[in-house]
Amino acid sequence: MPLKTLLRHTLLLLCLLGTPPLHAEADYTLGEGIQIGSLPVYVGGYFSVDYRNRDDEQRYRIDDIALLSYGGNSTLSYMLELEYKEFYVNTRNGGSTTVERDTHLYVERVHLNYSINDHYTLRIGKYNTPIGFWNLMHINVLRDTTSNPVSSYILYPMFTTGANLTYSSFEQAAWHVDLIAQRSKAIDDGYNNYTIDRHFGLGVSYEQQRFTCKLSGGYFQKVPHRNNPDIYYALVAAKYETDTYHIQAELGSQRSSKTATTPYAGYLQGAYYITQRHIGIARYESYRNDLLDESDRFFLLGYTYRPLYPVALKAEYQWHSEAAKNQLLLSFSVLF
Amino acid sequence: MQRLLLSLLLLTLFSTLCTAQEYAVIANKKMPRLTLEQIRAVYLKKLQRLDNTAMVPVNLSANDPLRKRFEEHVLRMSFQRLQSYWSRQHYLGRRPPVSMKSQESALSFVKSVEGAIAYVHAAIADDDVHILYRWSD
Repeated sequence: MPLKTLLRHTLLLLCLLGTPPLHAEADYTLGEGIQIGSLPVYVGGYFSVDYRNRDDEQRYRIDDIALLSYGGNSTLSYMLELEYKEFYVNTRNGGSTTVERDTHLYVERVHLNYSINDHYTLRIGKYNTPIGFWNLMHINVLRDTTSNPVSSYILYPMFTTGANLTYSSFEQAAWHVDLIAQRSKAIDDGYNNYTIDRHFGLGVSYEQQRFTCKLSGGYFQKVPHRNNPDIYYALVAAKYETDTYHIQAELGSQRSSKTATTPYAGYLQGAYYITQRHIGIARYESYRNDLLDESDRFFLLGYTYRPLYPVALKAEYQWHSEAAKNQLLLSFSVLF
Repeated sequence: MQRLLLSLLLLTLFSTLCTAQEYAVIANKKMPRLTLEQIRAVYLKKLQRLDNTAMVPVNLSANDPLRKRFEEHVLRMSFQRLQSYWSRQHYLGRRPPVSMKSQESALSFVKSVEGAIAYVHAAIADDDVHILYRWSD
């Protein structure tokens, strides 16, 4: 067994050993993890299963099985997330069935956070690229719908391996500035939408009571460099959130000096809490991908039932500009 | 008769005013003045250090009526919205504030821990703590 695989499975085993017999808290709250003894170390995780019906194809999938571990103090803290992705996929098309399994244990996130002073925090490692809103909460159980908006995985690398310097200020409103830098091979680049070894970006966000807006931009380079030019992206995002509804939108563009990429990709979404357990979602998306010479506009209606917040049963239907792409998605996910 | 009714009305109004509860967000004596937005950021663990001191927000227990008042008035979030917020923070590696069983425990904690911040009935906040913010029903 390769050393890296052995290390990952050892870390997973250590996370699992830190569960109930050692936890100090007498009452466990689903969705908030478990403390390891009296140490400032916590363990949690999540999983999701989903079903898709599109055209003549049906797909059943055990998608995420993940373990989280994090902890530390107000100055220094860490995060580790290990995940099986698409652990089991059963696809039926016409009369044929294919089964795929991916038993590779991916490192989705691993980073250290150092609080330099009141305003500055430095993160080193592999982390969710802090662009837009969706990418920071992209796991099934925390996001609004089973599907992700196209703009969240087509415009910029979802994960960055390197440094992230954040400036934060809280006076009458909250300001955050993120500087992103990667200049090396990625940690476990099999778990990313782009295989990159260069990524530099800047993001600015403003939050005032219920309203938040973010403006981000950057450039990255895929490997191998010889065949891939620099790619530039920009994204604007806004959100308005109350106890009964929220509206959010993201719109971005990706360009390269040498090849056509994505002139635009964006979405506008509204979610309404019919009750705190029953949520209705509507989303409109539109994008153009010149690299694949494709474009699409589609509308989505979704429903989520959360008997408890960390448990989500979701259903959605998408109507696309091409009827063949219309699809039904169902999923069940839990955060623990 | 009219005078009697008017007197009763005034008495009722006066009694209501007298029993209006006042609450206070309190902090350790060394804590500088915080804006309401900063108090909110401390309790949501968005602001974790100030003047190089670790912020230690303290909640009362989940079923304490004062906690509900604080969450609605200062945090401006319902209980359910806070539940969803802390689940998302768990994914980001952040823990909710510690809970104390009584206001007296919270008061004692705030006096002894630099960076501690809590909320209590204003009547029990003494000169050994710094009152950051007051509100009433």
